[in-house]
Amino acid sequence: MEGKRTRVDIIEDMLSSIISKGGRIKPTHLMYKSNMSHGQMKTYLDGLVQKELVKKVKEGHYEYVTITDKGHEFVQKLKQMREFEKAFGL
Amino acid sequence: MVQVVFSPKWFWGKDIFIDSIALLVLLCIAIFATKYYRIKKSRNYLYLALSFYLIALSFFSKILINFTIYYQVLHTQIIGSIEYTQVVLKSSEVLAFSGLFFYRLFTLLGLFALYSIYEKQSKANIILMSYFIIISTFLSTGEYYIFYLTCLIFLGVISNRYYQNYRKNKEKTSGMLAASFSVITLSQIFFMLVNFTKHFYVVAEAIQLLGYILLLVTFIMVLKHGREKNKSRHH
Repeated sequence: MEGKRTRVDIIEDMLSSIISKGGRIKPTHLMYKSNMSHGQMKTYLDGLVQKELVKKVKEGHYEYVTITDKGHEFVQKLKQMREFEKAFGL
Repeated sequence: MVQVVFSPKWFWGKDIFIDSIALLVLLCIAIFATKYYRIKKSRNYLYLALSFYLIALSFFSKILINFTIYYQVLHTQIIGSIEYTQVVLKSSEVLAFSGLFFYRLFTLLGLFALYSIYEKQSKANIILMSYFIIISTFLSTGEYYIFYLTCLIFLGVISNRYYQNYRKNKEKTSGMLAASFSVITLSQIFFMLVNFTKHFYVVAEAIQLLGYILLLVTFIMVLKHGREKNKSRHH
């Protein structure tokens, strides 16, 4: 069984979920896809918006979360970090 | 008397070049480990960065001392008077003692930090190991091979750990890392034999260079692989 997700794991899951949906996702879908509670999701999403990794965009009646270039770069850094961990057995 | 020069004269400078490459590779990995530590705040990354910085620092000490001895002390000796030579030799011994001492101490502490990532240490163990490392560093002043023997043991254990990791995950980068550390481990055997002939120093440096080039290739592969995986998820 996998251990408890770390803060970085959750952020990676959130950003990867947005990318898998073409870079744009509804907040509710993001919550389900990232396996989070509403409160948890709000805290993390606010943090990501503050760090400019994602932004909230309003289209018609709906609100979407979109990943920024900085967000894409961060995901790339995380993937490299995972490779680093695998290579060094960390 | 402290053994100052291990390299044959024709190899002077070339060893400094090889050690500079090792220093750069170690610094690259240390900088990236620090970056990842800032993201993840994991103890493993902290130890990894610390170990690579310490070993890089040890190479820096070695480069500095070799440069000073090859191009300052020994050159001055050749052109100086007998009286002056004696003064230079005395100062070179002090320089060699302190330089080599820190080179060895930083290397062993760095290897211990790396080893500690995989074998968790209690506080008592850390104190005990630090004591043995300092003792080993002092003993190496008289019997230089003790230092390389200690490195050989540390590196052997770490290489084996990386090989086990490769057997577990079958990742190419893990295999490359195990190979590079094994090659660096092998170089320690030739460093130990320098007293027989200084040519072993050349062989050891050449093998060490190969080890660090492999480590650099592994590092580039890790960065490239991470980027490629990310791109494939985008499309």
